[in-house]
Amino acid sequence: MADAATAVAATEMTVEMIKASQIGMKALGAGLAVGLTGIATGIAEMAVGSAAVGATAENKDVFGLVLLLTVIPETIVIFGLVVSLLLLF
Amino acid sequence: MAEVKGGPDPYIYVCTRMRVRKSKLIPREEYLRMLNMGLSEITRFVEETQYKKEIDELATAFHGIDLIENALSWNLAKEYQNIQKITPGTLKELTRAYLRRWDIQNILTVIRGKLHGERPGKIKEVLIPAGELNKAFLDRLIEEPTPERIIESLKGKAEYPLLSKLFEGGVREDLLPKAENELYKEFYADLIAMARSGIKGGRQFLDYLTLDIDITNIRNMFRFRADQSSEAFMDVAIQGGSISPQVMQRILQIRDLNEFIDALVPLVRARPLRELLETLREEKSIREIEIDLIKVQLAEMETMSKLQPFSIHPILAYLEMKKYEIFNLRALARGKESNLPPDRIRGYLVI
Repeated sequence: MADAATAVAATEMTVEMIKASQIGMKALGAGLAVGLTGIATGIAEMAVGSAAVGATAENKDVFGLVLLLTVIPETIVIFGLVVSLLLLF
Repeated sequence: MAEVKGGPDPYIYVCTRMRVRKSKLIPREEYLRMLNMGLSEITRFVEETQYKKEIDELATAFHGIDLIENALSWNLAKEYQNIQKITPGTLKELTRAYLRRWDIQNILTVIRGKLHGERPGKIKEVLIPAGELNKAFLDRLIEEPTPERIIESLKGKAEYPLLSKLFEGGVREDLLPKAENELYKEFYADLIAMARSGIKGGRQFLDYLTLDIDITNIRNMFRFRADQSSEAFMDVAIQGGSISPQVMQRILQIRDLNEFIDALVPLVRARPLRELLETLREEKSIREIEIDLIKVQLAEMETMSKLQPFSIHPILAYLEMKKYEIFNLRALARGKESNLPPDRIRGYLVI
């Protein structure tokens, strides 16, 4: 019964509808790629940032170095952004 | 990593700070250089390190050895107070509990000073207000006219019930060693109870306590062996280590050193400690044994702090290393003041 209903629905879908659905799925994938990598970057930067602030509090000379280390997890979200751009364009 | 409510970032922050501070401690090579310096050169060298502020502050009031000693004590107290301020959550509670040992030391110093009729200024010089009892409270204690009044002033503090019971019939010099033993036993019992109460990070703290108690008990065993007596060992033995006091008392009856080590080694949990005990088969002075035990304890604490990088271990490792840096500098300064040869002074250094 269910199979028959699906078959009927599939036959009723137009090419435009399928294309629109694909664009929607792409947008969803792109959103997930940026969103999830953003969360991962945040978690990674939490640890690196805490250590960086701790180290800078004791020795101000290391500020430049720890700043660089703190932004290294940003690469994760940049990968996510690249993937999402590839998906979209 | 210890479980933390609200994320581990405060732990990471404070443990990193401790690690940076540890890297600023005076390295072994500098101690070796200082062995060949005079007292004024040592003072100048110390002034160039983290002790500058204290030496500058106290330079008008003290000179020579007194200046170094006071600056070191003052720096240690300030450092410990500062660490208590920056540690978060349960780490603060554990650090405070650990630092209570300085309260015991300070209280006993004040009572001893009063019994010997020392003037308040002299007693104040040797106190290190690194624990819960701050400088103002200790100043009030010093101003008390009698030891009995000192104990009364401690009402409400953790040490009061035991001291008031022990000194019920008045404070006497001969009761002080017993009071000291009992206070430290109670201190360790309280710490163990706290570590086992389910507090976050308690398991790691218990690991440290076991090591500390083992080292203390083994050191006391060697001391008792050197004194050729074993009657009072149970008075000083601390419960909670990996060897029970009863077993240690039994092992202490063995007079032959090799057999003594053979009996002791299988009971010790920490591998570096077992290895050290194996090297103690040849006769060494009690001072050498004590220094070796301290070195093993510090090395083991360093290992623990690497295995548990965001726990109480990095903090405790730093606190202990800082304490021994102060001891080393004091030994160096005292040794130079007494014109001891460098080799002799080196024997007192934990490097």
